[in-house]
Amino acid sequence: MRPAAIFSLLFIFLAVSSVPVSADSAASIESPTPIRNHELAPVQESLPDEQQDVEPGEIPPADLGDGSGGDSEDQPEEEALHIADPLYPFNKAMYHVNDKFYFWILKPVAQGYRAIIPEDVRLSVSNLFDHISTPIRFVNNLLQMRIRDAGKELVRFLYNSTAGVCGLVDAAKTDIGLGQQDEDLGQTFGSYGVGHGIYLVLPFLGPSSLRDAAGRAGDRFLNPVHYVDPADASVGITVYDKVNETSFRIGDYEDLKKSAIDPYVSLRDAYLQYRKKKVEE
Amino acid sequence: MKRREEVFMKKISLLSMLIILLPCAAVTVYAGTPLETVKGHVDHVIEVLRDSSLKGGAAEKVKKEKIRVISEKMFDYPELSRRTLGQNWSKFKTEQQQEFIELYKSILEGAYIDRIMSYTDEKVLFNKENPLSEKTVEVQTTIVTKKADIPISYRMIRKEGEWRVYDVIIEGVSLISNYRTQFAQVLANKSPEGLLDSLRKKAGKG
Repeated sequence: MRPAAIFSLLFIFLAVSSVPVSADSAASIESPTPIRNHELAPVQESLPDEQQDVEPGEIPPADLGDGSGGDSEDQPEEEALHIADPLYPFNKAMYHVNDKFYFWILKPVAQGYRAIIPEDVRLSVSNLFDHISTPIRFVNNLLQMRIRDAGKELVRFLYNSTAGVCGLVDAAKTDIGLGQQDEDLGQTFGSYGVGHGIYLVLPFLGPSSLRDAAGRAGDRFLNPVHYVDPADASVGITVYDKVNETSFRIGDYEDLKKSAIDPYVSLRDAYLQYRKKKVEE
Repeated sequence: MKRREEVFMKKISLLSMLIILLPCAAVTVYAGTPLETVKGHVDHVIEVLRDSSLKGGAAEKVKKEKIRVISEKMFDYPELSRRTLGQNWSKFKTEQQQEFIELYKSILEGAYIDRIMSYTDEKVLFNKENPLSEKTVEVQTTIVTKKADIPISYRMIRKEGEWRVYDVIIEGVSLISNYRTQFAQVLANKSPEGLLDSLRKKAGKG
């Protein structure tokens, strides 16, 4: 990306960020922050090099038992999570697509971007996207009856809109110790006891589930970026957001792939564990 | 004469007290709290990473080796292995278990050493200890980066007065649970020997 293009994008973001400022009573529009923060790296999975034979479509429920044979001492904490994966052939294919997408396109672009754009600027962009996506967190906190957390999001939004220079700086966190209250619709469903349903690997977006994909679709309506007029611009902003986020996480996916015996299974399990924690907290 | 006796008795009692107390002191110093133990290891690793006398390509090797030595002290690999395999552990013969521990260890070290080496100046906060059971404790830490705070918990077990790590949980993802799922999948189709074979390949010892 040429700097000129980036700067024009930046202006678009600034324009967009002002939308929620004026319309924040409606508190409607935002982009899925938690999703960005954490699913990005996983998005780009890798292929298991050798052990293709290992993964049949049907995944064995991976030892629910924790203890080894006799000594079950104190292991209830690490129960294995299980998710149905009936779309395994599709998911596996998408996983390969995402892997190639990461290594051939996303990673080189993010690396180039990282080389050109100073870290502080990238951090500001990241803060800005988090700022814009306040409606998602605000509404989902309300939906989960987390009134205090919703209030925190509101205060954060007001504070960062002013002291945080339109959201470029997360002043609420550094000045008054108010951190982001990550909640999305998938977590809201989860908090009401809705299970994942089945595992899904979404093209470009990575690991997900029926529940979380539905949540993501719903959250889109709370995301101001979704309402940017020429649809191309909206997509462009989303892509830029992804590139910017990826610029902080280069290496994460590579590590996962390197450490895994079966990256597909490892990623799926990591996603389940990660989302479980998100729903619980 | 009496006076000398008194002094002597005092000395004796002091000495005997010392003898009685010394082992206690040694044990407490040795064991520390789980949090202190983790902190000690992590600080040690950071010290190695920051060691400015170690620079260049050859130094990289030295650093890695030093960190490997710390990891041996920090982690209870047999415990970690046993818990990772869970019920499948008993399907392995003793020699297979031994080999599994070694291979698993070398895969973990190989996978994470580069990550550790890429450490720059992030701050590590040691937040608190959370008892899990009589013998196990979770130490919660946070790595503060400019981008985000990353929660990392170490689950530790006490054996012979020493606390050692048997699981690391990063952003809610337990290392051993993640591997357990993968190994269970392999073992659903293969024998323990088959799993060892995959691990040998992965560890480059095929």
